[in-house]
Amino acid sequence: MRMRTPAALAAITAAAALALTACSGGSPEGGSTGGAVDGTGKTLNVLVNVNTLYPEQQKQWFTDMQAKFKEKTGAELKYETFTSANEELQRIQTSVVSGQGPDVYSLGTTFTPTAVATGAFVQLGDEEWKKVGGKDRFNPATLGISGPSEDRLYGVPYVSRPFVMAYNKDILAAAGIDKPATTWDGLLEQAKKTTDASKGQYGLAVAYKDNFDPWKFVWAMSVQAGNGIVDDGKAKIDDPAMKKAYETYFGWLTQDKVVNPASVGWSNSQALAEFAAGKAAFFPMTTSNSIPTLDKSPLAGKYEYAIMPVAAPGDSSPKSGAKPAASILSGDNIVVADYSPNKDLAFAYIEMVTSKDVQLNYQKTFGDLPANAEGLAALESAPHMGAITEAAEKSYATPFTGAWGDIQLGLLNVTVQSVPELAAGNVPDATLSQRLKDAQDKAQSSLDRAGTS
Amino acid sequence: MRTEPATRPRPAAPAAGRGPAPEAAPRRGLTRRNRPLWMLIPGGVLMLIVIVGPMILGIYMSMLDLDQYTLRRWVSSPFIGLGNYIESVVSSGLLRSVWLSVSYSLIAMLITLPLGVGAAVATQNAFRGRGIVRSVFLIPYVLPTFVVATVWRTMFQPEGVVDRTFNGLGMDPGLWLNGPNTYWTIIFVQIWASWPFIYLLALAGLQAVDHEVHEASALDGALWWKKLRYVVFPYLKGPLSLAFLIGMLHHINNFTLPFVLFGIPAPHDIEVLPMLTYVTSFQSFRFGLSAAMAVVSLILIAIPLFIYLRAVKLDDGESGGTK
Repeated sequence: MRMRTPAALAAITAAAALALTACSGGSPEGGSTGGAVDGTGKTLNVLVNVNTLYPEQQKQWFTDMQAKFKEKTGAELKYETFTSANEELQRIQTSVVSGQGPDVYSLGTTFTPTAVATGAFVQLGDEEWKKVGGKDRFNPATLGISGPSEDRLYGVPYVSRPFVMAYNKDILAAAGIDKPATTWDGLLEQAKKTTDASKGQYGLAVAYKDNFDPWKFVWAMSVQAGNGIVDDGKAKIDDPAMKKAYETYFGWLTQDKVVNPASVGWSNSQALAEFAAGKAAFFPMTTSNSIPTLDKSPLAGKYEYAIMPVAAPGDSSPKSGAKPAASILSGDNIVVADYSPNKDLAFAYIEMVTSKDVQLNYQKTFGDLPANAEGLAALESAPHMGAITEAAEKSYATPFTGAWGDIQLGLLNVTVQSVPELAAGNVPDATLSQRLKDAQDKAQSSLDRAGTS
Repeated sequence: MRTEPATRPRPAAPAAGRGPAPEAAPRRGLTRRNRPLWMLIPGGVLMLIVIVGPMILGIYMSMLDLDQYTLRRWVSSPFIGLGNYIESVVSSGLLRSVWLSVSYSLIAMLITLPLGVGAAVATQNAFRGRGIVRSVFLIPYVLPTFVVATVWRTMFQPEGVVDRTFNGLGMDPGLWLNGPNTYWTIIFVQIWASWPFIYLLALAGLQAVDHEVHEASALDGALWWKKLRYVVFPYLKGPLSLAFLIGMLHHINNFTLPFVLFGIPAPHDIEVLPMLTYVTSFQSFRFGLSAAMAVVSLILIAIPLFIYLRAVKLDDGESGGTK
């Protein structure tokens, strides 16, 4: 007894001491600016999202970039990864509060407004843009979600993942369809023609239980009808255009019966699997990341991509004055933390990874499209890339407000709560209106908070 | 009646080596008064840092209007007193979430208790292959919750294994992962995943029953049910109370299971407490409101917990093996 307690005490003290030193360890290297890109002896910390599709390739990519960066600046490059936007937000929170952490963050586009709302990142002026290779180096569309307005930009576009629609060439040919429709109404007609429920074949593969897809559909339809969802600090979710969007999206299942009834339980990857099995004519809401899966499936060589319809439900051509949005502006931005002592190195890093060759290489490895305009142009003629690059240019940004996370959740929630009625075959009008009203109220109160802060 | 004098009238004494009992005769001059209490200082300091500090911080946070916009200078974010508390009780659905959490946990617990005890009793006596059976029983408990939830989510898919089984019986149960059935889905999966915990503790309790007690009751002519009811179960009261308590807390705090099974946003019927707090904190970024919710739910759960602790006297150190 006597012997043990002091020993335990010593162990606890040691552990506590260790924990404390661990907390203070890993702080950024000393010395602030120094030369423009001479980073000898410094370390740049970069936080990026982990690539679950290509983990090995990502490790290799890190090694390559580290060597390249060392050669370019003499500084060490250290990558850290996160697995979800929430994990990243927690990192940002702790970094913001403590004033230390990664120098460079990679942010998903729709998450960018939320992150920027914390005020923890460097606003990009002319000088900063020059350091990363100039603003005109990038595909203009991708700048749409770099900041709240054109003269207040924070995020440097890194890669694009525009959403497109995959289609099965054989099924379309058998139904006598020569090319996919460019209106939602036209797509519905084609879907009806290609549906043969007795064979288990449906016109559309749609993931109603995905955590993102539903709001992207209704966002696109609503925007195409002229309702941008947020207008001057006012939410417009309980608007007829939005209701029509939900009715169309739900109608595919309940009225038109052009989707598999089981799709009320599908995530995007399950819808992709259905399409890859040749059981659906169209698979809207996919990205170039589906190429590897499809090339390994029986569908290899029998599929192609098209941009999603750009005319709102009920319209026969894009509405004048509305945005013909083929996709949300999707992909990643890079931001620099304003507490970082290594800002110049950070910009040098961004310059390196947004250069044409590196971006093309990245595309080849991971499938994400270059934000670099020249890089994007170079891809147009590559297999399957025509429609995808077109979609990258016709992508529109979701509203740049810190309330967007809540709004997006509200839009998704309308679908989540409607799934039981969807499965039963009818979402009553009053129920839908009530859900839209709830989403509207939550969105508005969230926007009010954004406005007053 | 001439009974054999009961050698051990009470199952209370935690005989099996647990170090010296405090009331034992003073050894080496360590009296109650002279105990070196200062040696508790490191532990006390750690406890202050790890538990008390964050808790006070959390309570303070719950009175701030802290969100993504004010996070950067969180210390100076607006102090709104009880504003968050009022909002959480009045307009956030918190009370409904508490009710969902507590009721589902209780139902799951009431079903797992007899299951676990039954399994423990069934594997108490040696038989061929008992080791294997006991190991198999532990599988659900050993699997990480994430894996359990993923597997069940796959099985509960529309037209998945579960649906096909029901269809085979000529029934159409509807959706499992959306709508009203979700409540029963989570209860079922929770039972599946957590009954081995009861089983383990019940088994531990059974081990404490001395062989002589079995003999004595057999001599008295007690049949299996009487033996179980009047001899064995009293031994299990302590461990099972503990299991009930820990299990309830674990169920109420279980975030992974509903999160993986149903995703975010949760279907209305299964918006349990951890999901609500999570969404408020990490989707809506209302950190202050979320902290208030956490405090409210802590209080709500602490009240029955306190009463329960007094009732079963788990906190007087007599039953041993408490936290």
